[in-house]
Amino acid sequence: MTSVEIEQLRVYLYVIGAGVVTVIFYYYIIYLYRSEKKGEKDYEKYGKLALDDELDSEILEKNPKLENDKKE
Amino acid sequence: MQSNATLEYDYSIVKLYMWTAVIFGIVGMTIGVLIASQLAFPSLNYLLGEYGTFSRLRPLHTNVVIYGFTVSGIFATFYYVGQRVLKVSLAESKFLQALTKLQFGLYLIAATGLVISLGMGITASKEYAQMEWPLDALIVVIWVIWGIVMFGLIGLRREKTLYISMWYYIATFLGVAMLYLFNNAEVPTIFFSGGLGAWYHSVSMYAGTNDALVQWWWGHNAVAFVFTVPIIAMIYYYLPKESGQAVYSYKLSLLSFWGLMFIYLWAGSHHLLWSTVPDWMQTMGSVFSVVLILPSWGSAINMLLTMKGEWNQLTENPLIKFMVLASTFYMLSTLEGPIQAVKSVNAIAHFTDWIPGHVHDGVLGWVAFMIMSGIMHMSPRVFKREIYSKSLLESQFWIQTIGVVLYFTSMWIAGITQGMMWRAVDEYGNLVYSFIDTVSVLHPYYTIRAVGGLLYLTGVFMFAFNVFKTATAGRRLEQEPRYRSPMA
Amino acid sequence: MFHWLEKNPFFFAVGVFVVIAYAGVIEILPNFAEKARPVKGLKPYTVLQLAGKEVYKKDNCIACHSQLIRPFKSETDRYGHYSLSGEYAYDRPFLWGSKRTGPDLHRVGNYRTPDWHANHMWNPKSVVPDSIMPAYKHQFTNVADLETAYAEAVTVKKVFGTPYGPDIAPGKAAYEKELKTKILPEALKIAKRMKRDDLVKMVEAGKVPEVVALVAYLEKLK
Ligand code: HEM
Ligand code: HEM
Repeated sequence: MTSVEIEQLRVYLYVIGAGVVTVIFYYYIIYLYRSEKKGEKDYEKYGKLALDDELDSEILEKNPKLENDKKE
Repeated sequence: MQSNATLEYDYSIVKLYMWTAVIFGIVGMTIGVLIASQLAFPSLNYLLGEYGTFSRLRPLHTNVVIYGFTVSGIFATFYYVGQRVLKVSLAESKFLQALTKLQFGLYLIAATGLVISLGMGITASKEYAQMEWPLDALIVVIWVIWGIVMFGLIGLRREKTLYISMWYYIATFLGVAMLYLFNNAEVPTIFFSGGLGAWYHSVSMYAGTNDALVQWWWGHNAVAFVFTVPIIAMIYYYLPKESGQAVYSYKLSLLSFWGLMFIYLWAGSHHLLWSTVPDWMQTMGSVFSVVLILPSWGSAINMLLTMKGEWNQLTENPLIKFMVLASTFYMLSTLEGPIQAVKSVNAIAHFTDWIPGHVHDGVLGWVAFMIMSGIMHMSPRVFKREIYSKSLLESQFWIQTIGVVLYFTSMWIAGITQGMMWRAVDEYGNLVYSFIDTVSVLHPYYTIRAVGGLLYLTGVFMFAFNVFKTATAGRRLEQEPRYRSPMA
Repeated sequence: MFHWLEKNPFFFAVGVFVVIAYAGVIEILPNFAEKARPVKGLKPYTVLQLAGKEVYKKDNCIACHSQLIRPFKSETDRYGHYSLSGEYAYDRPFLWGSKRTGPDLHRVGNYRTPDWHANHMWNPKSVVPDSIMPAYKHQFTNVADLETAYAEAVTVKKVFGTPYGPDIAPGKAAYEKELKTKILPEALKIAKRMKRDDLVKMVEAGKVPEVVALVAYLEKLK
């Protein structure tokens, strides 16, 4: 490839990349708000993770991978 | 596994990194004050012979505050916050626990090597990547260990969802890892020359303009992933925890995260405006820098709104003061940065003191404030003692705030003055000022900056004293405080 | 998709990584071929000049001096023609700098002389009374590390194909020869132009002071 072609390719990749990223990003915004409206998720409750962070604090959502955890 | 009753968070590694943060903070900023004073009073260059000139000491300052102070702060807070938001103790895995100790040992070796080699003038000479290859290799090992511990803890976690701070720590780990490897790619000369010359010497894989691009891709993102991303991780934990208020909008925090990740990486070329890198790339660097205001302010405003209805805490609790001012300074530097990234502004600002001004309203007002308040918040918990003195903390806050303000206002004026003088022409189009005119004019501002720096450093000493006294002489606490840190 | 990412830290990490890497690859990699081409007539640094560049790095002149003339009239009037990408083709690492506490040096060889440098490095105030630059007297007694500079020349020749002649080859013997036939004579010339007997004597004794190497390097910046 000549350097001009490389340069063009790069600009294309760049524009496409920026476009894809923007779409994903806006989709994510919509996803966040919609899933909360539909009642599927409650993001705001995760804010509590910083506040209730003792080893014996109540666990918000248990990690399923730790089945044989003796804690419970 | 240990039984429930005795299982506690393991803070031993946290304490070690807290101490190194304090010590490197003192060392690095003492050198900072010295070099600031050298610019105002050049005779101070001769205190240590060959080793004491401004030019030798400047990289020592930047490296000690970045890789010593800031990185220690990042590790200390990570090992604290990480355990807590994942609800898993390092004590649960002897393996991870041992790795953290190993990491700390290697870190001390690397830090010592860094100080000695830079002092001797052994340097690869790329900004923020000055270390020569043997040290670079050591850093990689340290970083990999951090990654193993991080993902190890995540694997053991009890809480399924990762709190937002963890996201930022993960991004720090990955971002630095990738950029560091690229930028430090270098060829040791001893292997190719039949064993000639110094064993630690190397040449960069890249030459000229390419080297500059890689370097500032790194340099910019070192700023991003060392001075911004992990510090945001800190504020998302410490401010809510200290104030007892959940973060104002968790959704906004997620959006700001992705926004930052998407945009930051494109903005690196704003360090190379008007240079020989391609025009379109410079333009993109400018544009993305301006867009970068959005996610940056997203996080900062989120923090300020977290205090909604609780502003009384601002007057009652000096730690809240530190953190609120930190997010305000973050807003200031992320507004100032994009302004400097506009090409016509950069034409004046680049190469002048306005850039160090911008750097230090960020690092002093935001980075160092956050690290110090994080350490203060952790002290009563890891030492199980009350913070030694509230009034000391309160005075530290005011002294340092004045220090920062003196620093950046003087550098703004100095930078813009000098930038304008460099380009001033008379009616015939001839340059008005010789270069040295534009240096002499800066003397008062350099003096003010040195005074500001001295005030800030005084605050750092007060802080160190306070932490030390807390650890040794604070009133013992029966129970771990839940939100607000107790102080005498 | 997002829900799943939030719950799977591993893939989350991969996601972050891809986002970061994509930007990097586009921003940097394809640039390489083009920008590495030297301008016509550009010669690689001699070993003495490379040793001087090491002194420039060691005493970290880059802390205060840039080597990048931007395309503004105010800069070209002051320093000369604006910098071209191809002029840096042999600069490993690049030494553009980010702060201009002192003036730009990219073309300093055009308007300063070795004896000016000698006075200036010994005591900057003797030639620029208001200068805030430190004196670098130790460079007049410290001996430059020519062997490492030579090792660097061999390395860049082998690894990056920098066009050095056949004389630049690995091993002690080749180095000794280069030292006698090229490096020392070049250093002697510079030392004489610096008009200081102590420097000339040192070079004649086979030891090149750091400042001589440094000035050889500064003279090359044009
Ligand atoms: C007492 C506090 C401090 C003082 C007095 C101080 C002073 C200075 C001075 C005089 C310079 C050189 C500027 C120039 O070349 O014109 C500098 C550079 C720098 N300092 Fe500090 N500093 C302080 C604290 C810090 C802290 C806490 C950090 C980071 C956590 C930091 C990071 C940096 C960086 C990154 C640079 C390089 C800036 C650039 O290349 O544009 N400094 N500092
Ligand atoms: C929206 C966010 C930001 C943008 C767009 C931005 C933009 C810039 C620009 C344009 C420069 C000057 C490059 C030059 O002309 O040499 C710069 C330098 C710098 N900024 Fe920022 N900035 C931002 C935030 C921050 C923050 C929060 C910090 C740290 C706390 C920071 C630390 C630095 C440092 C250390 C440098 C100096 C690099 C050097 O020359 O050594 N920036 N930034």
